[in-house]
Amino acid sequence: MYQYDEYDRRIILERAQQFRGQVSRRLAGEITEDEFKPLRLQNGLYRQLHAYMLRVAIPYGLLSSRQVRKLAYIARTYDKGYGHLTTRQNIQYNWPRLVDVPSILDELASVEMHAVQTSGNCVRNITADHFAGIARDELEDPRPYCEILRQWSTFHPEFAFLPRKFKIAVTGAPGEDRAAVRFHDIGLRIVENAAGERGFEVLVGGGLGRTPLIGEVIREFLPKRLLLSYIESILRVYNLHGRRDNKFKARIKILVTALGIEEFRRRVEEDWEASRTPELELPDHEIARVAAFFAPPPYEDLPPDDRALGLTLGRDRELGHWLRNNIVAHKVPGYSAVVISVKKPAIPPGDVSDTQLDAIADIADRYSFGQVVVTHTQNLVLPDVKTSELPRLHAELCALDLGDANAGKLTDIITCPGLDYCDLANARSIPIGLEIAERFDRIDYLNDVGDVSIKISGCINACGHHHVGNIGILGIDKRGVEFYQLMLGGSPGNDASIGKILGRALAQDEIVDAVEKVLGRYLAIRESPDERFIDAVRRVGFAPFQEAVYGSAGSSDAGGD
Amino acid sequence: MAIPTHWIVTANFTEDGAVAWRRADGSWSRRLADAGLLEEAAAKATAAEAAQTEQREISDPYVIEVHADGTTIDPLTARERIRADGPTIRLRRPDPGASR
Repeated sequence: MYQYDEYDRRIILERAQQFRGQVSRRLAGEITEDEFKPLRLQNGLYRQLHAYMLRVAIPYGLLSSRQVRKLAYIARTYDKGYGHLTTRQNIQYNWPRLVDVPSILDELASVEMHAVQTSGNCVRNITADHFAGIARDELEDPRPYCEILRQWSTFHPEFAFLPRKFKIAVTGAPGEDRAAVRFHDIGLRIVENAAGERGFEVLVGGGLGRTPLIGEVIREFLPKRLLLSYIESILRVYNLHGRRDNKFKARIKILVTALGIEEFRRRVEEDWEASRTPELELPDHEIARVAAFFAPPPYEDLPPDDRALGLTLGRDRELGHWLRNNIVAHKVPGYSAVVISVKKPAIPPGDVSDTQLDAIADIADRYSFGQVVVTHTQNLVLPDVKTSELPRLHAELCALDLGDANAGKLTDIITCPGLDYCDLANARSIPIGLEIAERFDRIDYLNDVGDVSIKISGCINACGHHHVGNIGILGIDKRGVEFYQLMLGGSPGNDASIGKILGRALAQDEIVDAVEKVLGRYLAIRESPDERFIDAVRRVGFAPFQEAVYGSAGSSDAGGD
Repeated sequence: MAIPTHWIVTANFTEDGAVAWRRADGSWSRRLADAGLLEEAAAKATAAEAAQTEQREISDPYVIEVHADGTTIDPLTARERIRADGPTIRLRRPDPGASR
């Protein structure tokens, strides 16, 4: 993985030192909250309902075991003993005291981490496919380009005060989009052109929130060496023409929609022709220099399958479920990627305790070359595990309460923090997720229902990605009371689609029953066990599900709130 | 009989972000039960003044409407009830619960 150079180290230490002074002045009353707020946000420090929240950047989700131990130490020393994995592959702490935050930033800097640009109207953490570097369907590892973009965007003076936050995601797997690139301000797909050259398909203007939109292709093929100059032109056009009068209309997607993709493209190309300079070009040797940080670990020469594993499978049913649902094929024979699900009944989705983090760090050292990846689905991945060691690893994870076999299944739910923590939320999302997890916590049912995603947001800002859940749940406020809209049909991948509201909003004690009715109807109408939930919804439309939930299809005319 | 509606002033403590409730004597408490009940106009004036003069100790004061029956104070919205009582979900480690 990438190692800081002297420049990286210096700017992060200087920023932490600077923030220590700002905190000190705020605590002394020398600056007001209005003056302090933009300073703390630039350092990832929010204030939520009950406490401050510090969001720590994890570039493209990749962590070393040393960093994981430091995150555990911070959770134990400065918080309530846990961290929360986020949908931007970051981790956040929900209870730090203001006076401790500078020390936390110093601790993070000691392991080459920070919290800059995890908030504010700037380029946020660059995300990637969580199977980057190991996926069998990958054309090329996207992480070197994520790292190049990270370095380019960190403290970029021109883009420090954009009209609104800006999110970029990169995938190197043309066949399956695990990074939701179509729902980012800029999505990058590594592709090959007719001449066999590698470059990027560039998408722009995707996003969720108040106005969910699928990104459009602005450039079908961008040579690698021109990546930075072209991205810079997109950002410059957005910075100049994006709206600043209304924060709800300030994202680039609104500008792209207002201008139309053709006119937006014309402006970008015009700027690009005028501003492109040699210093922004990426020579092959620079790409190779960064890519070297992501060189494969020293894999052993192993046979592609393991007979002993097959024998174990027949004896251990729980292990069999886990191998089926949580193990992903690796590009290197004899190795597998392991999804560690942190989704369990009674545990808020994405929460990981300090003891679990410490243990995961040890496990990563022993099983996976000391590396761990945070997924945007709020789980963890051990990328490089010997297939023959999976049974032993599973036993260790079970001892940590991390051996659940529900990756990609119904109870592998994404939720935002919701009204239990968040200052912006209208309704709680975690308790709804927990109730769903508890009700459907039966492995045979999960396997029968198959691959179906539930995503829950506590407000229209859509941090829980409800628009792209096969089943989406959006919390709303009706005169101080929590209600929930149920949406169906969303998907974040190559078959991107935005879910639509099924019918009238439901009360808190109705919403999980409604999910059960939707699933029951799916099981009744699917053409075969191979027909996924999303495919069934697309085939039959909403009427059978409206009938199941509301008693008649016509009731959907009441519409959503 | 309708429960009387009152107004109280709330904010967050600067040092740790915890919820703060303004007592009748002008000091700040971590317990909703300590909040001083006011009429709407007085509450708004108090919040505005606190924003100017007490910004070192607390941040972003504002007013909320509550029902008060003489023994308990009940915020009218889910948001303010959760602010008062804490998250409705289990925390990994109990709050050591500073009191003042």
